[in-house]
Amino acid sequence: MKTNKICAIIGNEHEYADLLPLTENRPLSTLYFDCKYRIIDFALSSVVNANVRSVFMLVNEGRVKSIFDHLGGGREWGLDSIGSYQYFSFYQDMVRKKAQGELPVGDIIDFLKAAKAPYTVYLTNKFVCNLDLRAVLKIHQEQNNQMTAVFKRAAANRIAPDDHILTLKKDGTVKHVKEFRKMSSKTEVYNLSLGVFIVNTEWLIEQLQNSQTLSLEEFLFNSLPQIKSSTYEYTGYVSNIYDLPSYYQANLDMLNSENYNSLLFSSHKVITRTKNEVATYFSIASDVQNSQIATGCVIKGKVANSLISRRTLVDNGAVVDHAIIMGSTKIGAKSQIRYALVDKDVTIDPGVKIIGQPDNLLVVKKNEHITANIHGGK
Amino acid sequence: MKNEMIAVILAGGQGSRLKDLTKDSAKPAVPFGGRYRIIDFTLSNCVNSGIYNIGVITQYQPLTLNNHIGNGASWGLDHLDSGVTILQPYSNKEGSKWFEGTAHAIYQNIDYIDSMDPEYLLVLSGDHIYKMDYDQMLQTHKEKKAALTVAVIDVPWDEASRFGIMNTDENNRIIEFEEKPAHPKSNHASMGIYIFNWQRLRSVLVNAFTKEVPMIDFGKNVIPFYIKSGDNVFAHNFSGYWKDVGTIQSLWEANMEFIDDQDGLNVRDRSWRVFSKNPIAPPQFITDTATVNASMVVDGCFVAGKIEHSILSANVQIKGGSLVKDSVIMPGTLIGKNVTIKRAIIGENVTIGDNAVIDGTKEVAVVGNGEVIGVKPDED
Repeated sequence: MKTNKICAIIGNEHEYADLLPLTENRPLSTLYFDCKYRIIDFALSSVVNANVRSVFMLVNEGRVKSIFDHLGGGREWGLDSIGSYQYFSFYQDMVRKKAQGELPVGDIIDFLKAAKAPYTVYLTNKFVCNLDLRAVLKIHQEQNNQMTAVFKRAAANRIAPDDHILTLKKDGTVKHVKEFRKMSSKTEVYNLSLGVFIVNTEWLIEQLQNSQTLSLEEFLFNSLPQIKSSTYEYTGYVSNIYDLPSYYQANLDMLNSENYNSLLFSSHKVITRTKNEVATYFSIASDVQNSQIATGCVIKGKVANSLISRRTLVDNGAVVDHAIIMGSTKIGAKSQIRYALVDKDVTIDPGVKIIGQPDNLLVVKKNEHITANIHGGK
Repeated sequence: MKNEMIAVILAGGQGSRLKDLTKDSAKPAVPFGGRYRIIDFTLSNCVNSGIYNIGVITQYQPLTLNNHIGNGASWGLDHLDSGVTILQPYSNKEGSKWFEGTAHAIYQNIDYIDSMDPEYLLVLSGDHIYKMDYDQMLQTHKEKKAALTVAVIDVPWDEASRFGIMNTDENNRIIEFEEKPAHPKSNHASMGIYIFNWQRLRSVLVNAFTKEVPMIDFGKNVIPFYIKSGDNVFAHNFSGYWKDVGTIQSLWEANMEFIDDQDGLNVRDRSWRVFSKNPIAPPQFITDTATVNASMVVDGCFVAGKIEHSILSANVQIKGGSLVKDSVIMPGTLIGKNVTIKRAIIGENVTIGDNAVIDGTKEVAVVGNGEVIGVKPDED
């Protein structure tokens, strides 16, 4: 019988205070992206597009609702069929185990043994990219590696302080790994780790059995320069989410058709939760330019340079410009929204102005009802 | 498990009056309203009315329809004690059994219906656009202690001779049925929606086919037989939006009425949702050269041209300088630069080359599925 070649672990280790209040009640993984996706869709789609059928997800106890809401039974990703296996575990459980003197990663080892895949891929939760894991596996096998790490050459202004930078030897193997904030040499471009690793499962189990680590990512980064490993350079579109400007920019990047095509129209489909919605209606007075809109919306006002998620109403005379609207929001007549991120289920009263600045984005929290003007910046 | 009522949707018709739109798929599978296929309205009515076991009878070009319905998950029909079953013609020791008419199709699928063991059988056609609570109709059926209840809608008198007309008495009992009468006595048109007491219908069909009495069609044979045999046949009056989309003109009209939500369907009402199998596609991209007004657009569309009072279905691309007016563009169609399309229905996966003109000002223009128009061989 043919066994599954790769099993996957998706981590949720990264949370950033700079993304608040958007991540108040949801992990970074389930932040909206480009009207209808969530950040986790990209990692999960890479996984299922590589025909991986066993997925282990590490989540934080307090924020699990949003992940379950989105994934449901995993039908859209084909994870509800026989032979597929979704497993959830909590970080807090690892901490508890460690305190009780047990092996913190015991659940992960059990999963790896049950999945019976010779290779394991680990993916982090903060990058938006469309990665072909089978191509990475090919390199991993050809190089006869214990571990293969994926990186992207990225500009310094798109890297977070806690991101990891790979310094490579001439032969492409990893010389050392350092957090970006600890890098002494300053250049314009760095080999930014995308937090994706393919490892030999047998080796991983063996190592984890003797490890007290509470962070798989830290464990993998530490091992990388010490074992037979090499790298895979990802050349497609990527965005790195770590604060409001990076999150905002990643979304607006989709209004550049080159980025949009690279990420969403590659040969690997990005899968997300499907919902039943009516087609978006544009009234006779609507005026929409350079924007992306999901279905179920009613657009009667003016929309420019913006991204609008499902079931949003933009009423008569309203103006939405350089804004991200995250779904089921009611934007009242003659209101104005500029340079702002508006979370789900917000109501904005008619005539209200929410005016941010390019360097001072405003955020409207989920479920809020805005009755008075908000101005950002000067 | 015992079901009070199950539904059978007759979806086998070719719909030849839809011309090239049905050359490779059955009428109920024709796209509608940007997001749907025609059968979605009937299927959604069923689940919204609490009917969770549905047989779909197919015959003509069933591939698209089968693929669309799948295991019924899109309508929540993959739950416990629910399901959608595709019923296709099959052969057995007595030879192959093509469905010769609506009642004959039910007769051929007695095994399926018996396996569901329903008290009542709801017979539907899969080619109308409407929202209707079949449970209300069942209540009428039970109150009147009817053997057969036929849903009727009052049509304008001058159109009545195009329909099957039910003449009723003061108790709403149907006393006469006339198929397309030249001089109609009433304007109660049959909607092709029937509730039968299953055991009675079963014995009528078995008896007739055993004795070779013609019982092929509900309208032609079964309803007149019920009336003649003194069975209780009642009308159930319906008064919402109901549109037969059997012709190019009516399909185009129904789509145009759908755009502004002026048809009374109230399609955005979340308490009676219309479900469909939704493709996974990125959000629609309205570029800075586009203008979109009085139109409906769905996921996966890329719009650089001018769209006026039209419907764009999933994954349609329209390049700069093109005008689409009063038209319906079905899924996957690509339209080049400086194209003009007016009063047209463009089928699925059509490719239209630069500078083409499709003008249906006199009569609604149709381009069939998969056609390629005005593309030079050296163009990409």
